[in-house]
Amino acid sequence: MRNRLSEKVAIAGVGCTRFGNMLEAPELKGKSIQEIAADAAREALEDAHITAQDIDAVYVGNAMVHSSQTPATQTQIAKWIGAQFKAGMHFEAQCSTTNVGAALAAQAIASGVYDRVLVIGVETTRTRVKGYSPYEREAIPAQQTWLWTDMAVNQAYSVPQGYDIFSTYNGLLALGYCRKYGISVDDFDRGMFELCRTRRLHGSMNPKANEQETLEQVATRYGFDDAWEFWRSPENPFCAWPSRVRSLVTTADGASAMVLARAGDAKAMNPQPVELKGFGICHSDLPWYTDDPTFWKFDKIATDQAFAMAGITAADLDYVHTHDCSHISGICTAEMMGYLEAGKGLQAACEGRLRFDGDRPMSTHGGRHAFGHAWAASAGSDTYEAVLQMRGKAGKRQMPKRPEIAAIHTHGYAMVGTTIVLGAM
Amino acid sequence: MCAQATQRVEARAPAAEAKSYVEQYYDALRDGRFLAHKCRKCGRYTFPPTTCCEHCGSWDFEAAYLSGRGMLLYASHGIAPPPHPRFAGIAPYVYGQIMLDEGVAVQAIVRGVEATPQALRAIFERGPLPVNACVMSMTDLPVLAFELA
Ligand SMILES: [Zn+2]
Repeated sequence: MRNRLSEKVAIAGVGCTRFGNMLEAPELKGKSIQEIAADAAREALEDAHITAQDIDAVYVGNAMVHSSQTPATQTQIAKWIGAQFKAGMHFEAQCSTTNVGAALAAQAIASGVYDRVLVIGVETTRTRVKGYSPYEREAIPAQQTWLWTDMAVNQAYSVPQGYDIFSTYNGLLALGYCRKYGISVDDFDRGMFELCRTRRLHGSMNPKANEQETLEQVATRYGFDDAWEFWRSPENPFCAWPSRVRSLVTTADGASAMVLARAGDAKAMNPQPVELKGFGICHSDLPWYTDDPTFWKFDKIATDQAFAMAGITAADLDYVHTHDCSHISGICTAEMMGYLEAGKGLQAACEGRLRFDGDRPMSTHGGRHAFGHAWAASAGSDTYEAVLQMRGKAGKRQMPKRPEIAAIHTHGYAMVGTTIVLGAM
Repeated sequence: MCAQATQRVEARAPAAEAKSYVEQYYDALRDGRFLAHKCRKCGRYTFPPTTCCEHCGSWDFEAAYLSGRGMLLYASHGIAPPPHPRFAGIAPYVYGQIMLDEGVAVQAIVRGVEATPQALRAIFERGPLPVNACVMSMTDLPVLAFELA
């Protein structure tokens, strides 16, 4: 593998909807899936000061066709965004979809085939088509969402024999982390509390986040004066001991989009483009780890490739998002990357270093727990946040010093380890 | 065995040699055997069996049965009701990370341990612990599980 782009590629525009429930969130309520995809696409196109007539291809990601019921998604979205008679595809890499789409777009652009590509991710994990209605939606029972989601996991042997995402992605990993670094289960719990507090703080400052209450506000709503007491209460049960439910993803409907082009072309469209300096993609079936649950080989391979393509090291990173469907998994990945010191990630969370105004800022949009998770749209929401931070446009959660280099890592269930490196231009 | 199969799933045509590796695995499991493929090129096991050595990519392998002995490294639990309806009757159940004697990493249901913080903390503090594979007979499928040795 030569692992290089033959031409510089940049993101010229980004878009992202509110993440939430299409039956409840005011920004999504009453809309169709076509319309939320169009909202994200329009924001990205207008950010790049173009229309879809000016692009060559549209890549539309959607992972859970069971709820969207729109395969060949790019053709079904085209009329809603002015992209008729273009090239494109429907694709998915589960929760890495949008950033894998950015990598595919970069390959197409750097090879000289296309000049401009629009990547869209759209997903509905909270709501589905109601009956045969073209516009009515209904809630999806949580078990149904997980059953559909687990269709991305080993269907011959793992899922039929009781594969459990909560243990595999949380509890076993947490215990591996505690044993490896000599951390007590109680100190682990405190670290998870502080990490949740940080992510929810970020979500509270983000009008597009699924969860916009701070952890303290949630505790008050449940009648607790002390958020730590609330954290350890039956209102925050173990989903996979020693991990609790508020260390997990929250599900959402939503869409994200980005416009990619050659760096010079992007600069002509937008005064603040962001270079896609590198990417790495590496997949694995279960098991994701062997005797050390904190080390996931495919993430290491993906990250090494992305850093090599970008010509950076961990010391260059100013901002990082790692996939945090499971908060402890996100910490392990950031430590593997070298952004956090091995075994010290939870301590860093307790010291406030992972906050937007800390020295190791992470997931300033709120991450999968507070910003929420709309599978195929989520990686785009992470990139959207990084671009806002690099432009100095992240509002109340803006990092004091704009990041120059950022890394975004995502887990496409299960698993597509994906890391992209972004650079200010 | 942690439970005996009460009835065989009805035999299907075509004949045995036309069975998928998936069906062969579950058939073996029903009989209390843990079917793997052993690579003739690199000597490593692919468990459960697939069409190719997952380590070196060789298509040249032979059937082999694993001992079912190993070490339980970590044990946690899932939620109730569980994502998969097959396990609704036993959720929340304990799920563990096991390293088999043959060097194969396996994740599976762990029987005989309560899905409570107290019981799991005790397992964590004592671990790693030796375990043996067993077979749980769900109504429609035999399932690999482990019990403390
Ligand atoms: Zn081999």
